[in-house]
Amino acid sequence: MQLRPNRAKDKLAAGEVAIVVGGMSDPDAIDAFGPIAAANDIAGMWLEGEHAGVDASTLGNLTRACDLWGISPVVRINENSQGLIYRTLDCGAQGIVVPHVNNAAEARNVVDGGKFPPIGKRGAYTSRQGHGVANYMNVADDYSLLVILIEDIIAYQNLDEILEVDQIDVFFVAPSDFAASMGHTGDINHPEVVETMNDAFRRIEAAGRNSGATCGQGDAERYLDLGAKFLLTSIGPWLAAGAASFSDFVNNHSR
Amino acid sequence: MQLRPNRVKEKIYAGEVAVSVVGFTHPDDIDTFGPIANANGIDAVWLEGEHAGVDHANLGNLTRACDLWGLTPVVRINENSQGLIYRTLDCGAQAIAVPHVNTAEEAQNVVLGGKFPPIGRRGNYASRQGHGIPNYMELADDHSLLIVFIEDIIAYQNLDEILEVEHIDIFFVAPGDFAASMGHKGIWDQVANIPEVAQTMEDTFRRIQAAGKIAGATCGKAGLQRYLDLGAKFFLTTTQEWLNDGAESFMSIVKNH
Repeated sequence: MQLRPNRAKDKLAAGEVAIVVGGMSDPDAIDAFGPIAAANDIAGMWLEGEHAGVDASTLGNLTRACDLWGISPVVRINENSQGLIYRTLDCGAQGIVVPHVNNAAEARNVVDGGKFPPIGKRGAYTSRQGHGVANYMNVADDYSLLVILIEDIIAYQNLDEILEVDQIDVFFVAPSDFAASMGHTGDINHPEVVETMNDAFRRIEAAGRNSGATCGQGDAERYLDLGAKFLLTSIGPWLAAGAASFSDFVNNHSR
Repeated sequence: MQLRPNRVKEKIYAGEVAVSVVGFTHPDDIDTFGPIANANGIDAVWLEGEHAGVDHANLGNLTRACDLWGLTPVVRINENSQGLIYRTLDCGAQAIAVPHVNTAEEAQNVVLGGKFPPIGRRGNYASRQGHGIPNYMELADDHSLLIVFIEDIIAYQNLDEILEVEHIDIFFVAPGDFAASMGHKGIWDQVANIPEVAQTMEDTFRRIQAAGKIAGATCGKAGLQRYLDLGAKFFLTTTQEWLNDGAESFMSIVKNH
């Protein structure tokens, strides 16, 4: 039996853009979204465990719903901990997102938790994605996707050394914490923030690495122009637009 | 996109024997069992909602774990209620087992809950198994599997009329309640051997087969030959026996070392 493909990782390897959607917190909701994701070429589902309720006890059910539709379950965890990284993979994640990675040593810690020896120090276990896959430990490293968040000004200052760390698939530049760390809390459009972030994207691309960004329809073009290959978008604006459109229709109806 | 195949339904109508396993209560455990089930030709996971904790809040997760491995999720519910039957299907079950079906009218009620009009009265909804299937309502009836339990002496007395009800796929003869209804209370695999009970059950199996219908049985390894000989095509077995055998075998090595 073959390991399930990692759609987001496959897309990046093919030089394509991988779209990951955030905002679903229940396996039934992900399952219901499955055919929409498939019809619209959505590559991954972002499961939020830095700030929201995704944890080891819910990951089996959440990631199985993704598996049914061939969507990569990408889990953001809330600490750069080797144990947390590999337990999250063992519970079914195909992608791990680690926030606030600020130097090369911290980036290597992500690799140590995310890859088996000799690359890293991931502990051996019958991972959920490995059920029925006899050579799981031999192939798992090629299938797991590691994403680190570049979201502090100190990470920007250390960007060159961070970009030299092997096995990190996506260097994700996140605006809100980035702006806050520059003294511009809540002002992600401050020219200094925009210029620094743009420079980060350019340097990631220049280093031959993949960058990631979070955006909606309004700013997707900006990040695509900056070479971002991994885009996180939220269902929030889709729901808001749908609700507004429906509501407008009702309000403008005359008989 | 195609509706997921119902492995049990395909097997029994191809004249083959289908095996379901009971004993898993967590989706992670079903997922872990998946490759073992596939390697051994097991067809279904029996999700117990007549007596145990399976309900609508956990059916999505339980049945998705089955879907991943092509195992048919069979859910036993605890009341012959049309609403309960179709909600259970909507949450992801591919098969419904209804206990204590004692008359043709009660069997017909199972069909009314389990099939869409014009056959039955199943309510229209975007069922979980129908995600991405535009013509789900047209196909669903061919894919859903209905099981009724013949487990009371009154059902035996009404067997001829029950067997005439269409769209019931499996007539499952269960020994524990069957024996109890005949005045013999006890462990199910023991009471099944009481002569009066055994004879009545065997006659039930023969009449199901004679009517051209499919019989189901529950047993461990010891009872399997008997029910296969009686023509049963659908089996329910429990992981408890396997756990017990495995534990004994492991501990015998430890003890004899």
